[in-house]
Amino acid sequence: MSDALLQFTQQLINGLTLGSIYALIAIGYTMVYGIIGMINFAHGEIYMIGAYISVIVIAALGLIGVTTLPLILLITLLATIIVTSAYGWTVERIAYRPLRGGNRLVPLISAIGMSIFLQNYIQLTQGSRDIAMQPLISGGWQFGEGGGFQVYLSYMQIIIAVVTVIFMGLLTLFIHKTRMGRASRAVAEDREMANLLGINTDKVISMTFVIGAALAAVAGLLVGMYYGVVNAYIGFIAGLKAFTAAVLGGIGSIPGAMLGGLLLGVTESFTSAYLSTEYKDVVAFALLVLVLLVRPTGLLGKPDIEKV
Amino acid sequence: MQKTTKRVSAAIIGMAIATLMSCSSQETDSIKIALVGPTTGPVAQYGDMQMTGAKMAVERINATGGVNGQKLEAVVLDDVCEPKQAVAAANKVVNQGIKYVVGHLCSGSTQPASDIYEDEGILMITPASTSPAITERGFKMVFRTIGLDSQQGPVAGRYIANSVKPANMAVIHDKQQYGQGIAGEVKKTVESMGINVVLFEGVNKDQKDFSALITKMKSADVDFVYYGGYHPELGLILRQSREQGFSSRFMGPEGVGNKDISTIAGEASEGLLVTLPSDFSKVAANADLVKAFEAKGQDSSGPFVMPGYAAVQIIADSIKATGSKDPKRLAEHMRSASFDTPIGQVAYKENGDLKEFQFVIFNWHADATKTPVAE
Repeated sequence: MSDALLQFTQQLINGLTLGSIYALIAIGYTMVYGIIGMINFAHGEIYMIGAYISVIVIAALGLIGVTTLPLILLITLLATIIVTSAYGWTVERIAYRPLRGGNRLVPLISAIGMSIFLQNYIQLTQGSRDIAMQPLISGGWQFGEGGGFQVYLSYMQIIIAVVTVIFMGLLTLFIHKTRMGRASRAVAEDREMANLLGINTDKVISMTFVIGAALAAVAGLLVGMYYGVVNAYIGFIAGLKAFTAAVLGGIGSIPGAMLGGLLLGVTESFTSAYLSTEYKDVVAFALLVLVLLVRPTGLLGKPDIEKV
Repeated sequence: MQKTTKRVSAAIIGMAIATLMSCSSQETDSIKIALVGPTTGPVAQYGDMQMTGAKMAVERINATGGVNGQKLEAVVLDDVCEPKQAVAAANKVVNQGIKYVVGHLCSGSTQPASDIYEDEGILMITPASTSPAITERGFKMVFRTIGLDSQQGPVAGRYIANSVKPANMAVIHDKQQYGQGIAGEVKKTVESMGINVVLFEGVNKDQKDFSALITKMKSADVDFVYYGGYHPELGLILRQSREQGFSSRFMGPEGVGNKDISTIAGEASEGLLVTLPSDFSKVAANADLVKAFEAKGQDSSGPFVMPGYAAVQIIADSIKATGSKDPKRLAEHMRSASFDTPIGQVAYKENGDLKEFQFVIFNWHADATKTPVAE
C-alpha cells in the first residue's frame, strides 16, 4: 500500500472512532425524540456525568487496590451505567414529566435549564479544573511498510468500535424482540392510543430516558478512558455534535443515529486531513444543511406524520 | 400638587445627602482594588496565580500600615476567561465604584474589559495578558506587568531556528486572540530565519479529539510543533501524539506552562519546551517574599504570581507618591516614575507596556517541574 492510502486508512480509523462516540450519545437524543417528540438538551450533561463517574470509580478502585483490568472495567461499567441512569430517570421525573401535555416549548426550555443546572452542579461539586486519568489500556497495532507511514490502531479504538456495535445490537434486539420494546414502539407511533390500549406510557418514557442515559454513560466511560480528561464542559460540545448526528441520520431513527454519528466523525476527520482543521466544523455543518435540503427528515428518517 | 413636589424634592435632597455621606464614609475605611480573572473554568489555575500574588501584596501593604493611613481591600471578581463574562465583571467594577483593577488574565477578556475601564477612567494593570493589541489603541488607563507576545514569540522563534533547526515545522493555535497571536509571531520569526513551516492550522478551544491533526502532522513528517494556546488542548495533543507514535518535540508559550499539563499529558509532557517569564521566585531579592508565600503554603513560582504582586504594589506606590487617589493622576505618575517590584525595576512606555520584560525558555518535565534551557 502506498503512503497516501495508509494515511487515508489512518484518518478513516480516527473518524470512525470519533463517530462511534457521537453515535452512542446520539441514540439518547433520537430515542427521546422518537417517543415523545422532545429534544432533551440535558443529554450532553448526562454523558458528562457518566464520564465523571467512570473516572471517579476507576480512581476509587485504584485506591482500594483492585488491579485486575477486566474486573475494573466491569465494575466501572456497571457503576457508571447505574448511577448515570439514575440521573437520567431523575431528570425526566423532575424536569419533564410535570410539564408533559403542555406546550412543546415548555419542556424544551426546562431541558435547557436542566442542562445549565447539571453543568454548574458538577462544576461546583467537582471543581472546575480538568480531571485527568492515566491510560488504563494502552498500546495497539502498527502496520505499514518499513520506513513508510505507519498506521496505528490502538486497542482503545477497537474497544470503542466493538462496544458501540454491541450496545447498538442489544438496543435493536430490545426494541424489536421484547414486550417493553414493542410498547415503546407503540408509544412512539401514537402515545394516546397506546395509553388507551393499556400501555403504561409514563413507564415507557421513563425507560427511554434510562436507556438513553445508560448509553451516554457507556460513551462517557469510553471517552474517559480514551481521552483521559474530563471537565464539566465536555457535555456541551459533545451534546451539540451528537444532536447534529441524530438530525443528520434522521431524528427518531436508531440506525440513523448510528449512521449520522459515523458520517459526522469521518467528515470531521477527513476535513482536518485534506482541507484544514479549522474548517472541520464548517464542513460538517454544511453537510448537515445539504442533507436536510435534499432529505428534510435526515438520511434514514421517516416523514413526520403530524400528530394531533 | 405643590406639596408632593416639595416632598419629592425633599426626598431627593435627602438621598443626595445620604449619598454624600456614604461617599465620605467610604473614603475613610479602605481603598478597593478589584482582582479580576478566572477563578472558575478550565484556566482557573492561572487565575489562582494572579490572585495569590495580588492578595499577598494587599496583605503585606496593609501589615505595614496600608497606603497613606488607609487599608487596601481586594475585591475578587470572576470572568471565567470569557470575553462576555469579562464585560459583565468590568461593569460590576464600575457599579461598585472601584477605581483600580488588577486583571484580567486572558487577553481575549482583557481586550473588551479595558474598553470599559478606559471610558470610565478606571486604572487597569493586567499581570498576565500578553496580546500586543491591548495596548495598541492609545489608551491612557491600561497597563501591564507582563511582556508581550511580540517579545515572547521571537524568543521562542529564535531558539527554534538557532538551536532546534527543524526540517518540517508545524505551528498550531487555538484560534483565540492570545494563541493565534503568539503562533503568528513565532511563524514570522522562524520563517524569516529560513525554517520551513509546513503546517499552520487552528484547532477549536474545548476540542477533545486531535487524532486527525496528528495523523496529518505525522504524514507531513513534521519534526517540531509550536502550539499557541493553553494547556487543556496541548495536554491532549501531547497525549494523543504519544499514543499514535508521533514523536515530534513540542513547544508552547506561558499559557501551557503549568502543572495541569503534566496531569493531563503524563509522561508525554516530558521534554516540552515552554517560554515563561523568568522564575522570579529564584531571584535573591525576593527571598523574603517567597518565604511569606511558603508560610501560607502557596507556590510563588507560577508565571503570574509575582506580576500580580507587582501590579498591586505599583498602584499602592503611586497613591503614596502622588497623595492622590485619582486614577488619571496615578496613570500619569506611572508613565514617569519607576518602581522597585518583585519582577524587577519597572518603568512604562507611553502606551502602558513595560519598557523591559524578559522571557526565558524552560524544559518541562513529566513531574511538572521545569529547568531553564541555555540558549
